[in-house]
Amino acid sequence: MGLGQLERRVMGVLWDCPERSLSGREIADRLPDRAYTTVLTILERLRRKKLVERSNEGKVHTFRAAASRESYTASLMLEELGSAEDRNAVLVRFAQTVSPDEAQILRQALDASRAPVP
Amino acid sequence: MSLYAVAAGLVLLAAALLGPASSALARARWVDDAPRAAVALWQALGTSAVLSGIGAGLCLAVERYHAGFAGGVSDLVGSLASGHPLTGLGLPDALGLTLAADLVVVLVFLLGSVILRISTTRARHRHLVDLLSLHTHDTGAAVLDHSTAVAYCVPGIRPRIVISAGALELLDDTQLEAVVAHERGHAHERHGLVMLPLVCISKVFALIPYARLAPSSVAGLLEMAADDYAARSQDRGTLASALVSMATAGTLPSCTLGLTGGLVTRRVERLLAQRRRPGGILVGVTGAVLVLLSAPVALLLAV
Repeated sequence: MGLGQLERRVMGVLWDCPERSLSGREIADRLPDRAYTTVLTILERLRRKKLVERSNEGKVHTFRAAASRESYTASLMLEELGSAEDRNAVLVRFAQTVSPDEAQILRQALDASRAPVP
Repeated sequence: MSLYAVAAGLVLLAAALLGPASSALARARWVDDAPRAAVALWQALGTSAVLSGIGAGLCLAVERYHAGFAGGVSDLVGSLASGHPLTGLGLPDALGLTLAADLVVVLVFLLGSVILRISTTRARHRHLVDLLSLHTHDTGAAVLDHSTAVAYCVPGIRPRIVISAGALELLDDTQLEAVVAHERGHAHERHGLVMLPLVCISKVFALIPYARLAPSSVAGLLEMAADDYAARSQDRGTLASALVSMATAGTLPSCTLGLTGGLVTRRVERLLAQRRRPGGILVGVTGAVLVLLSAPVALLLAV
């Protein structure tokens, strides 16, 4: 399993537990096929990428996602739908939204093309 | 012919290409029949203008050697190598060198910084898609859990094609296949790379018509090119219906009003219309590209 896949699983564990931070041990327990040290390495990678925040509870490091799954998804959508000036270069979107008038004309054109040819 | 005359000619050529020629190409409608050829023409316009600008600067800089262009450039290189490049440099020479060097430096620096920023943004976006996607759809697209219907491609060495849960709900299976095939077209033909230099210049040279018009025109042409790519394996009518569904599903954010410029309509029209063979256009564009790229070089070598 690649690092990307592991990061995905670790983030999944953190996102599924939004109410509190988890210790490295608790996270490793939820990924039984992975060694504790591997999980810590992945957590450190994710922390460097600012996806995970670490805090100290007593002597134990605990981890939580920097933001919820929903807010990350929303941020991607914002990048995709936003009018960022170089959006065209970052992403390529399938269809821009059209005005109501244009929508009307488009639907008529589609209907006309589906009508049987006389 | 003096080098000053050639320099003036090159500046005029560049001005004509970046001004009236660009405006004409942005208005042209034949481009819908041959979007890829039109993109090549946009690229040739820009390249030819840059070559002309650099050439004009060099003309001014090497005039004092009275050795023609090629001889003058080799004399200039010789004087640079000897370590006394500025000896006897007059005002026109200095201006010319500055123009040529500035063009090269600005373009290289711009390209570098924008490429860096955009690839960082893209890499983060790809990474987040990998972490966040619910699952991979049968078509190979990553599915994001969001109610807005969107489909897009994040360019890169390993591009990601993303569809939202909203799009899965809106489109039927054949429409989804058509949409993903369209995005595959963007990925396969590296449209993200085509856009990079245009995005760079749009930031800095906004007063020049080419820099304003080329990015949006080429972006639209690449959409048509991706439609054509999808149409090789998918039904054109299905793709058109998916396009209409996606484009009419959301509410229009006021900031993009007028920006779409009827692009979706143009795409739907060309998908539904009888396919025209663009043979004549291709011949014409190939000729134009060759002339554009060789004109500045020919002018320089003639003196």
